[in-house]
Amino acid sequence: MSETRPTDAKINADLLGPVNKPGRGWYITVAVSGLVVLAAAGALAYQFSRGIGVWGINRPVFWALDITNFVFWIGISHAGTLISAILRVTGAEWRRPVTRCAEAITVFALMIGALFPIIHLGRPQLFYWLVPYPNERGLWPNFRSPLSWDFFAINTYLLGSIIYLYLPLIPDLALLRDKSRGLLRRIYGALSLGWRGTQLQWDRLERAVRVMAVVIIPVAVSVHTIVSWDFAMTIRPMWHSTMFGPYFVAGAIFSGIAALILAMAIIRRVFHLEAYLRPIHFNNLGLLLLTMSLIWFYFTFGEYLTSWYGNEPEEMAVFRSKISGVYAPFFWGTVVCCFAIPAPLLAIKRFRTIKGTMIASVLVVVGMWFERFLIIVPTLTHPRFTFNWGSYAPTWVELTLTAGTFGYFVLLYAIFTRLFPIIAVWEYKEGLPLGEHGEPTIVGTPDVEYESA
Amino acid sequence: MAEPQIKVFDTRHEAVEAVHELQRQGVPDSAIAVMSSEPLHIETLHLPKTRIAGFAIAGGLLGAAFAIVLTSWTSRRVGLVTGGMPIVSWWAFGIIVFELTALGAILVTLGRMIFEAKLLRRPVPTGSEEAVANGKIVIAVRK
Repeated sequence: MSETRPTDAKINADLLGPVNKPGRGWYITVAVSGLVVLAAAGALAYQFSRGIGVWGINRPVFWALDITNFVFWIGISHAGTLISAILRVTGAEWRRPVTRCAEAITVFALMIGALFPIIHLGRPQLFYWLVPYPNERGLWPNFRSPLSWDFFAINTYLLGSIIYLYLPLIPDLALLRDKSRGLLRRIYGALSLGWRGTQLQWDRLERAVRVMAVVIIPVAVSVHTIVSWDFAMTIRPMWHSTMFGPYFVAGAIFSGIAALILAMAIIRRVFHLEAYLRPIHFNNLGLLLLTMSLIWFYFTFGEYLTSWYGNEPEEMAVFRSKISGVYAPFFWGTVVCCFAIPAPLLAIKRFRTIKGTMIASVLVVVGMWFERFLIIVPTLTHPRFTFNWGSYAPTWVELTLTAGTFGYFVLLYAIFTRLFPIIAVWEYKEGLPLGEHGEPTIVGTPDVEYESA
Repeated sequence: MAEPQIKVFDTRHEAVEAVHELQRQGVPDSAIAVMSSEPLHIETLHLPKTRIAGFAIAGGLLGAAFAIVLTSWTSRRVGLVTGGMPIVSWWAFGIIVFELTALGAILVTLGRMIFEAKLLRRPVPTGSEEAVANGKIVIAVRK
């Protein structure tokens, strides 16, 4: 099968379209997500004025929805930089329209995830006390604490991800500079750092992105491993596990891919980018999602089997609360959402369509949020001493804040698509066969067979 | 310095031919600037050697050194109460060293890339930026 290579003007018009004319769908998205964010801001203001007691947390459940959201969003952040870096390092050509969608997810998800430990401090205005700098209070961070490791890991990943998003954006910022007028031209001009598109600049950019991709992969893996160690370094039942690191990383990549598929499907629909985000991309990401679903199930089974076989009373109390107790609906909901439905859906090629991968992704995102909740709350409600057992029910403040994170994520993402091309224009052009630059060329398109899917 | 001579090309093929012609005429590669909206990978156009990877390693080492000083030296100096455990704990501190090693590599890579790509400098306007944005290829030759 073959098709005509689009001209540069056509590619520019299509990919810069969302920046120039976002359309009605964009405004609706911003309005709805903005309302949700406003509601969450109200809840947050209420919490600041009344104190953290307006949450449902209690003794012994000190962590609940806030830390669930923290772990969930840090997990979602693995969609972008990690997946993009792996695809770049392995030279996967189909990555080109996908990478920026993914990298933007990382930055915004990390920003949201990192908010929660600060909100959870109770006095968030004093969060800077975490930063190691000489001070008159005689305070100094304890570098042994996994929470200190979190601080360094998340900030390294956030800064690295912003740079990793920014570097390949520079040529597109220059393109926007040359296509805009007035104040916008000056802003894009400043952001593009005087980019001219010389071959020296292209060479250095590609080398820097490659180096960055190699460095960022272990950082991404370390971030969620360290988040898992917040739990595993304690000796609480069903937390003190050597496989928590890889289990968390697998879950993070799993939920991250699902978030990426959802973001791509929405962008494709809202901005009419059907010619760029093709069924082949959803098919390939669907296969990755299937792989991660199987790996997630393997880890979950291994984790629970080990606890059950050990049959220690403290572990079994938590185990039973999840399998057949008060948290059973969440547990079985997780299994259904993360494995029982998505795995067969994605395994059958006929169902691995855009709609099919979207359904699977929605289920996985919901299931992985349940899973994060299940890791945190049942263990805290069942400490080792039975006289200390407790229960937990979220309040409207926590639920509103949770909804607000989703609204905030959508809002940030929508604003990003209004300011910058969500598909890397130059990377997309580079991926087209070199032939005659700028001239219509007949090229092979291996993805055409999926067009009817 | 004389104004550079500029020519706009529609296709990659034409631009590559023009580069070859300039090289045949004895114009050094350092005097030829080929500007495009995507990388062209012209193999015969020799670019200065890059040191980005080396600098990334150096940045990583710098980050590691900083992390070691931050964790072990300051912990000793502040005299943290560690309940009888050693004040300097390499298992725990190693994680922070790892993160700051990566951060050092990332920051230095960015800085070196900006330096080597001659960014953050006021570029000489060629008047052909619009053409590059529209997919044309511009060759500027400094005489």
